Amino acid sequence: MRFDWVADNMGQILMMSWAHVQVSVLPIFLSLLIAVPIAWWAHRQKSARRVLVPISGVLYALPSLPLFVLLPVVLGTRILDPLNLVVALTLYGVALLVRTAVDAFDSVGRIIRDDALAIGHSPRQVFWRVALPLAGPPLLAGTRVVSASTLSLVSVGALIGVPSLGYFFTNGYQRGFPTEIMVGVIGTVVLAVIFDVIIVVAGRLLLPWVRATDRRRG
Amino acid sequence: MIQFADAFAWLVDPANWPGPNGITARILEHLWYCLLALVLALVIAMPAGLYIGHTGKGRALAIGLTGALRALPSLGLLTLLAVTMSLGLRLAIVPSTIVLAILAIPPLLAAAYSGVEAVDPDVVDGARASGLNEWQIVGRVEVPLAAPLLVGGLRSAVLQVIATATLSAFLGLGGLGRFILDGQAVADYTRMLGGAILVIALALILDGGILLLQRWLVPSGVSIALGTGRLEGR
Amino acid sequence: MIRFDHVHKEYPDGTIAVDDFTLEVPSHEVVVLLGSSGCGKTTLMRMVNRMVDPSSGSVSIDGDDVAHSDPVKLRRSIGYVMQSGGLLPHRTVVDNIATVPLLLGATRRSAHARASELLDLVGLEQSVAKRYPSQLSGGQRQRIGVARALASDPNILLMDEPFGAVDPVVRAELQRELLHLQNELAKTILFVTHDVDEAFLLGQQVLVLRTGAEVAQHGSPANILLDPADDFVANFIGGPRRHLRTEMRDGRHIVVDAAGHVTGVLQDDRGAAG
Repeated sequence: MRFDWVADNMGQILMMSWAHVQVSVLPIFLSLLIAVPIAWWAHRQKSARRVLVPISGVLYALPSLPLFVLLPVVLGTRILDPLNLVVALTLYGVALLVRTAVDAFDSVGRIIRDDALAIGHSPRQVFWRVALPLAGPPLLAGTRVVSASTLSLVSVGALIGVPSLGYFFTNGYQRGFPTEIMVGVIGTVVLAVIFDVIIVVAGRLLLPWVRATDRRRG
Repeated sequence: MIQFADAFAWLVDPANWPGPNGITARILEHLWYCLLALVLALVIAMPAGLYIGHTGKGRALAIGLTGALRALPSLGLLTLLAVTMSLGLRLAIVPSTIVLAILAIPPLLAAAYSGVEAVDPDVVDGARASGLNEWQIVGRVEVPLAAPLLVGGLRSAVLQVIATATLSAFLGLGGLGRFILDGQAVADYTRMLGGAILVIALALILDGGILLLQRWLVPSGVSIALGTGRLEGR
Repeated sequence: MIRFDHVHKEYPDGTIAVDDFTLEVPSHEVVVLLGSSGCGKTTLMRMVNRMVDPSSGSVSIDGDDVAHSDPVKLRRSIGYVMQSGGLLPHRTVVDNIATVPLLLGATRRSAHARASELLDLVGLEQSVAKRYPSQLSGGQRQRIGVARALASDPNILLMDEPFGAVDPVVRAELQRELLHLQNELAKTILFVTHDVDEAFLLGQQVLVLRTGAEVAQHGSPANILLDPADDFVANFIGGPRRHLRTEMRDGRHIVVDAAGHVTGVLQDDRGAAG
């Protein structure tokens, strides 16, 4: 590890980190926003589930680099356009979260929801006041996984020239310079940890009862 | 969309299939890298996962480790191992296999321990009280009942490895990633797209194959026991 | 004969499950450990087949300390029936019953033949043989549990609240059949329950246990009913509910408990309460 190189190139490191963050944030948000309604639909309608769950499985099966190559044709974008990455990563996030969320809604269970209906909640209230809060903890866990995998996958974009911390992998490899690659790996992990902390804190604010449950389980 | 037509023309052109740089050879290389890595990962993850699930020991360690492994960027790991290992550049298959195995271990390990943990403790208790020894409990009770989750873990691992083996081309190895990287080097988008379609098709075919394997592998008694219909293994 | 000799069990967290327990279970008798949940009765029972090892003291079978025997072999020689059945959900009924004979090296054919004998013995139709446990009723599952425990013809049966999870009608039926089986087979049975009626119905000897498996009273059912050792036993076995007297109503004797609730009708003048 050559720290002088790190010091000399701090500007570029920060720039690439920022590019990395920019491409990552949107997919994480979007996938949560898209996956929850889809999962709710799949949870309530057997016919919808039969289509949606396998589709999300297939989406998740798509390899990332080939998808980055394929999307420009489908979207009509240029191959270097970061939008390709955003769309691809959102697809992965949705695929992963739909499964998690359907399982979460299933585990909330018909009985609890029927109870809620019997008490006098409307179906809409059941979703907002009962199902979503109770499905919160697994959704939070799923979002953490999406965040980690998104940050890791963004770097693959470097192979087709989209700027991110992944640039240090390809460039460092070509120069046979481990320090540069280390900077990329550590940078990605640091970003992953920061994102994770933010998500966990956000989760605690939104789902104050989760901590209590966690402690009971621990 | 004209690019798709070009890519399909490239795919069906018989001239592109034979030879050491042909599509057939690249598919076989790709599968070979994946197989090596999966075997390595299975040899490590299965015993470890079953041990953790059966004894309950080392669970926290396994969760921490798999979480940490997931956060590591595969391309970074691949390039780092290649430049730092003494064999890395000359024998690129070594870092490639290690990285692919590292990617395959978390889903396999998680499936093994969570699958075993999910087995009804009363069933294990009853088996032990009937006089099954610990090996028999693992082999005849826990593994069969965890089979659906184990196959699920295998499926995730295979998909992960097939996808990432594309990156091995960056280390100068073969496999389907070659078409993408070589195509990019000479701005031949048709070849890139053709390669991309091949990897996606390979992943989907294997995914479907494992689903079929699951139906064949998971004993009917297990499906009935777990209340999962044969077709609805989630 | 099973003998508990000054058995003590303390868990690593400091809980004392069993504190100095001594008992002799004579061969061919049914001895019931009666107590509320958490009193240590199951722990005691599980010491016999070494599912639990005592912290001190010893458990012996026909004079041999079980601590010296291989736990796996020991368990194969002792029948064990548990409340949840504990059947292998992915094996058919015959395979479940044949588990122990197969483990002991019997051929598949002879093990299955034995299994179908046992189906008859526990009063099940041969048609259930190929079903899976989840396709049976709770009562049927418990019968399979008993059949599995009897498969290798063990001398000792350990029964841990075996009928606790079935409805009262089925429970009564299973209890009757157990008595009937015991008449024929004369096993040494250690039976754990929290159900007083069940204990008095099945046990030749009953031990009422307090927390820590401390023996509050040990005796025959009649013994315990006639002369409860203390308030704890009297309360546990039903208190006022068991203090019955007869009253005349419409020219017949009815049986009334201490609180004045009617519990039965006297059948004839010889005094058998129904």
